[in-house]
Amino acid sequence: MSSVLDVFRFRRKNTPLHRLDPRAKFAILVLFSAASLILNDLASLLLVLVAEVALLAVARSAGEWLRSLKGLSMLVAMILALNYLTLPSNRLFTALTLALRFICLTTAFSVFFLTTAADELATALEASGLPREYSIMFTMSLRFVPSLARDLQTISDALRCRGLELEKGGLRTRIRNYTYLLVPLIVYELRRSLMIAEALEARGFGALKRVEPYVELRLGRADYAAIATSCALLALTVALRFTSLYEAFVRLQLSIFGEL
Amino acid sequence: MALVELIDVHFRYAGSEEYALRGVSLEAEEGEFVLLVGPSGCGKSTLLRVLNGLIPHFYEGDFRGVARVAGLDVPKTPPHVLARHVGMVFQDPENQLFLSSVEREIAFGLENMGLPRSEIRRRVREVLELFGLEELKDRAPYELSGGQQQKVAIASVMALEPRVLAMDEPTANLDPISALEILSLVSRLTREKGVLAIVVEHRLELALRFATRMVVMDGGRIVASGDPRRVVLEASRLVGFPPVVVAHQLLRNRGLIGGAPPLTPEALSEEILGVIGWRR
Repeated sequence: MSSVLDVFRFRRKNTPLHRLDPRAKFAILVLFSAASLILNDLASLLLVLVAEVALLAVARSAGEWLRSLKGLSMLVAMILALNYLTLPSNRLFTALTLALRFICLTTAFSVFFLTTAADELATALEASGLPREYSIMFTMSLRFVPSLARDLQTISDALRCRGLELEKGGLRTRIRNYTYLLVPLIVYELRRSLMIAEALEARGFGALKRVEPYVELRLGRADYAAIATSCALLALTVALRFTSLYEAFVRLQLSIFGEL
Repeated sequence: MALVELIDVHFRYAGSEEYALRGVSLEAEEGEFVLLVGPSGCGKSTLLRVLNGLIPHFYEGDFRGVARVAGLDVPKTPPHVLARHVGMVFQDPENQLFLSSVEREIAFGLENMGLPRSEIRRRVREVLELFGLEELKDRAPYELSGGQQQKVAIASVMALEPRVLAMDEPTANLDPISALEILSLVSRLTREKGVLAIVVEHRLELALRFATRMVVMDGGRIVASGDPRRVVLEASRLVGFPPVVVAHQLLRNRGLIGGAPPLTPEALSEEILGVIGWRR
């Protein structure tokens, strides 16, 4: 479970991509996810993935991405298998395309979340008019994921020490075992949230609706370049997608796959 | 008027039968290091929460008595106003640090006060310097050691320049060396900045040496208050004897040494060395 969550865990690094304004990175995210959704063939999606991986390499985050991909491999296998078994025609081509689309989409989000600090994103959202309560709530919901994972570990360790075998038994036993885990966890987290609320009060949170954030977001030359490039590439993708040339390109690929 | 003034304060949490505070009166001035001790459930934490207005504003219940901090009437002043006068540091640093860098953590309270960006920058710089955190300013708080985290937590409440620093077992999650470091930092704030520190602490052997006053609570009341050397003897039933005090008592009973008990092993050693006539 922790490896799947790892996709979205930010690590501070000093790379050109990390330095970009969150809004510029959001433009890149929109480009990649839109492209993954409207492109409908293996070769183009492969091109999208190559571009995404290139960006991850620039951000020195390809390792984290690969590890997270391992966590998603079950889902990818399921998409492949279910589509292959149920589709009427072009089974292999379509199943591969759909699986690749899933990978492209999650990678687009990895590019964004691996290079953007939660509170930078929150500051950007606040600058675009989101109330401060919500932006802080958003920051904290990501900030406390590792704490939650650790609490879960502590409780399951404590239960194991007392002889509860969480992973053993039939479905019914397992569900019952997990309630043993869940009840203390909920109590734990409620108590934690109370302590967090106290600490927030103690630092005057919520006194004012609008404040001047400490970090000033300013779009630089690189940010404008990234936004412009993303917009241009998106326009190009949309334009090409609806030409007869694209249809021919897809037919070519289908002919390679033949009857599979 | 005293910086902190409590007169006959009673408080009962909503839904609870018992009063957590039953007639607490306390006056404290700037520059004091008040060590607040007592068995679990004696009302220490509740008392601290009265100082920064969490009681009666955040926790509902039955509040009686007079509570004034920095001239403000606590029940009539919202917590965010009190936050400027009373900095509160809790036991677990993890639950007090919310943001992705030390610098932003320190700026958080200042943002909440609605200060202009230039002023926030100035104060963040000052606080980073005062606490020696410049090198850590870009690090994420959750990557730091427990001692560093607690230091950041103190720095981020001190950024609001409060005159009172209330701490609820600030060293409970720390190793002895980090704990000593945090307490001596607090002691420095009381001496150099005239801050009034009110510190709840169980580890007497670490905290006693810094205290200028010791307050002992039991069953929602203050049962002893004054010079730590005297109070530590009076209230030993509740707080136990630190080994250094026991050693001193034994030596004194045999007529080998005199005076009030020293508060650190080092001070006792000095006394013994003095008695046996050892010179450096």
